[in-house]
Amino acid sequence: MIRESLIMRIHYITGISALFVVAVHIIMRLLMPFDSSIEYQNIIANYHNIAYSILLESILVLIAIHGFNGLRIMLLELRQNRLWENGVTIFTISAMMTVVAYGTRTIIVAQGLGA
Amino acid sequence: METSKKSNSTVRNNREGLKGWLNPARYGWERVSYWFQRLTGLFLLIYFIGHVYETSSLTGGQAAWNALLALTQTVQGHIFLILVIGASTFHSVNGIRLIFTHGGMGLGRPGRPDYPYDALSLNYRQKSGIWISLILAALAMLYGADVLFGTK
Repeated sequence: MIRESLIMRIHYITGISALFVVAVHIIMRLLMPFDSSIEYQNIIANYHNIAYSILLESILVLIAIHGFNGLRIMLLELRQNRLWENGVTIFTISAMMTVVAYGTRTIIVAQGLGA
Repeated sequence: METSKKSNSTVRNNREGLKGWLNPARYGWERVSYWFQRLTGLFLLIYFIGHVYETSSLTGGQAAWNALLALTQTVQGHIFLILVIGASTFHSVNGIRLIFTHGGMGLGRPGRPDYPYDALSLNYRQKSGIWISLILAALAMLYGADVLFGTK
C-alpha cells in the first residue's frame, strides 16, 4: 500500500503541474477569437501538432489523477471502514483509468483525421 | 473493556457523515473555504469528464463536432463556462494556500490558549488567502464573460 503522505504529495504535484499545462491550453484558445479557435479545422490542426497532443495527454493524465484522488479523499472523509475504503479506492482508480483511456483514444484518432 | 466501549461511543458520536461535511456554521471562513474547495473540485471533475466526452465527438467528423458545438455555444453554455472559470480559479488559488498551510507556512507562532480560545492558526494570513481566492475567481469570471460574450 502507498502511504497517504506520498499520495498527498502526488495530489499537490499533479495539481500544480495541471495549473501550468491548462494555462497553456487556455492561451492556445485565446491566440485568436474564441469562436474561430474552436472551429473543426483549427482543433484538428491542434491535434496534428505533436507537442500540443503531448500537452493534451499530460492534461488528461494530471487532472484525472488529481480529480479522482480528490474524490477519493472526499469519500474517505464521509465514512471509514476497510470495505468502504477499498471499494472507494478501486472505484476511483477504475474511473480514472477509463477517462484516461477514453481521452487518449480521442487524441490518437484525431491525429489521423484530415482537416 | 470500559475504555474500549467509551472510545467506540466517541467515534460514533463524531460520525456525522454528509451532515458534518455540509455544515457551514462551524469554524468560520475556513469552513466556507473547506466547503468551496470540495464543491468546486467536484464540479470541475464533472466538467472534466464532460469535456473529455464532448471533445470525443471530434472523431465523428465535422458534422458531429458542429452539432455538439451548437449545444454548447449558447447563452446557457457560456454561463456554465464562466462558472467553470470561476471554480477553477478559486480551486487553484485556494489550493496553493492549502499547500503552503500543509507545509506549516502562514500558521503563525504557537501561543498560550487564552479565552475565547480562537485558534492562532486561523489568522489574518489564512483569511486574506481565502479572500484573494474569491476576488481572483470573480476577476477571472469577468474576463471570461468578456471573452465569451464580448468582442475578444
